[in-house]
Amino acid sequence: MVAVDTPHPGASTEPVIRTDRLTKHYGGGLHRPGHGTGTIRALNAVSLEVEPGEIFGFLGPNGAGKTTMIRTLLGYLHATSGSATVLGLDVVNDSVALRRRIGYLPGGIATYGSLTGSASLDYYADLQQREPVRRAELAERLQMPDSDLRRKVRDYSRGMRQKLGVIQALQHDPELAILDEPTEGLDPLMQLAFYEILEDLRDAGRTIFMSSHYLHEVERICNRVAIIRAGHLMALQHVDELLARRKRRVTLRWRGGTPDLSGVPGIADVIVLRDRTTATLSGDVAPFVRAVASPSLVDLLIEPARLEEVFYEFYAGEDAADGDAR
Amino acid sequence: MSLRILRQTLYWQRTRMLVVGLVALGWGALVPTFYTTFQDLFAGLVEGGFPENLLNFGSGSLFTLGGAMTIGVQHPIGIGLLAVFAVGAAAGAVAGEREAGTLEVLLARPLSRRRLYVSVGVAILVATGVTLALLLAGQVLSINLLGVADEIDQWQVPMVWVNGMLLWGAFAAFSLAASVSFDRRGPAIGLSLAYLGVNYFFEILGTFLPDLAWTQEYSLFHHWNPGEIVTGKLDPFDLALLGLAIVLPVLWALIVFPRRDLAAPG
Repeated sequence: MVAVDTPHPGASTEPVIRTDRLTKHYGGGLHRPGHGTGTIRALNAVSLEVEPGEIFGFLGPNGAGKTTMIRTLLGYLHATSGSATVLGLDVVNDSVALRRRIGYLPGGIATYGSLTGSASLDYYADLQQREPVRRAELAERLQMPDSDLRRKVRDYSRGMRQKLGVIQALQHDPELAILDEPTEGLDPLMQLAFYEILEDLRDAGRTIFMSSHYLHEVERICNRVAIIRAGHLMALQHVDELLARRKRRVTLRWRGGTPDLSGVPGIADVIVLRDRTTATLSGDVAPFVRAVASPSLVDLLIEPARLEEVFYEFYAGEDAADGDAR
Repeated sequence: MSLRILRQTLYWQRTRMLVVGLVALGWGALVPTFYTTFQDLFAGLVEGGFPENLLNFGSGSLFTLGGAMTIGVQHPIGIGLLAVFAVGAAAGAVAGEREAGTLEVLLARPLSRRRLYVSVGVAILVATGVTLALLLAGQVLSINLLGVADEIDQWQVPMVWVNGMLLWGAFAAFSLAASVSFDRRGPAIGLSLAYLGVNYFFEILGTFLPDLAWTQEYSLFHHWNPGEIVTGKLDPFDLALLGLAIVLPVLWALIVFPRRDLAAPG
């Protein structure tokens, strides 16, 4: 397992989340989610560890098994086989005790429309049995003034409901926040504010486990990422490491003819079109820059490696069986 | 039990409790008035050859004050008032939260499903108990105002309430068991209403078709007869049977609810 970037000083080094061949198959129970017949293999022997003080991204498209994983960790679903611990507690036997120490934002959160925002938060805080020490700060950073919190939730826009969901999940300063698609419905400015909140929580030693299908946000804020496909764990790595191994696309524009780049370190797939050369670059950038630096170079564009490409690589050749997972 | 959930559930039901409670009080007061006003007319009808069984209703009768009290709680209006909480609110309690998606956030707290079930169940019983108490209070008030209190033993009215709570507790327990077993409010309410309806049908059927009076024994309604209780004829078997009708669905709920997979709402 790869070490975390910013472990919380003095914090336990025991994994915050540990799953061992966690498997969840649906079918044959009292109420089977989804339609159709047969067993639905939502999670297949997923083993991973989330370290203290990291933001861990759980990545996959709709139906890959992200929500099933989260709901199994929270005790909403019962694993078919395998085991999981959260904060050192068994997710089946110690479910109530561990929920005291975590915050959870479900995907597409629904709260009581007849209550005001602040009454909802009070209700959840009372049931959490912990002081909502971060509520004021979160409300301020997410631009939820008292005037908004005094309104009935039924009058909220989708974005406001999502902000309320974020506050209810984090207001009691949980040791672990489990967030399912947390930026759904947030505008770009609020997304940025939310990323900063998560980064501050990480700096304070809290752990974040978030699912997302927004690659850019995972790339921006997560230390490590797991990519899941049809219930199978396809990758589990530091984001930086994932990206470092990727080829970057470079575009060079020349004055007075294009030089031969075939001998330049790390360069491949060279295409020359009039005064422009495009190629892919692997490895360090410095030797490449030194090699191409010349008075005839007019412009140089090195596109950063994107998680998107890694993601699509794992999902290339996706077949119909992938639709099994939820 | 979570007092916070109990308090919140009752808070959400406050308007409905007020309206249903006032209507129950009025309905309770109306039935003895009906009895004192029309008993001579009914007696005359029977003497004239009108079938007496058609003037009875369920286990009640319009020829005695106790019988009229029974009709008051077995008439569709009385049933409807008491079913508002014992069936409607109970069946929607958990399935409704599940359907709306609010159960997700609730169960993210350190709260076991059993504790949630017990908290909601107690709130339902409180609302049902208040409604029943107001209905009986209306009857007692009216009986005293009309000056016919000597026809019954008023000290038995609390026992009427206890027996009634066992009956409606049984319906509430069944409805809550349905509620924790379904992801949607519709099936839970439908099944609960069907259970209530079948019991009611068996009780009423025997009234109009004397040959089928035996079906009444199979109705839970037949085991709560205020008219007999206020005349000192409480049958302990009724209490035991209704107690069993509470215990079975409660056991079902306590076993099934914690074991259910709660997949993401669709």
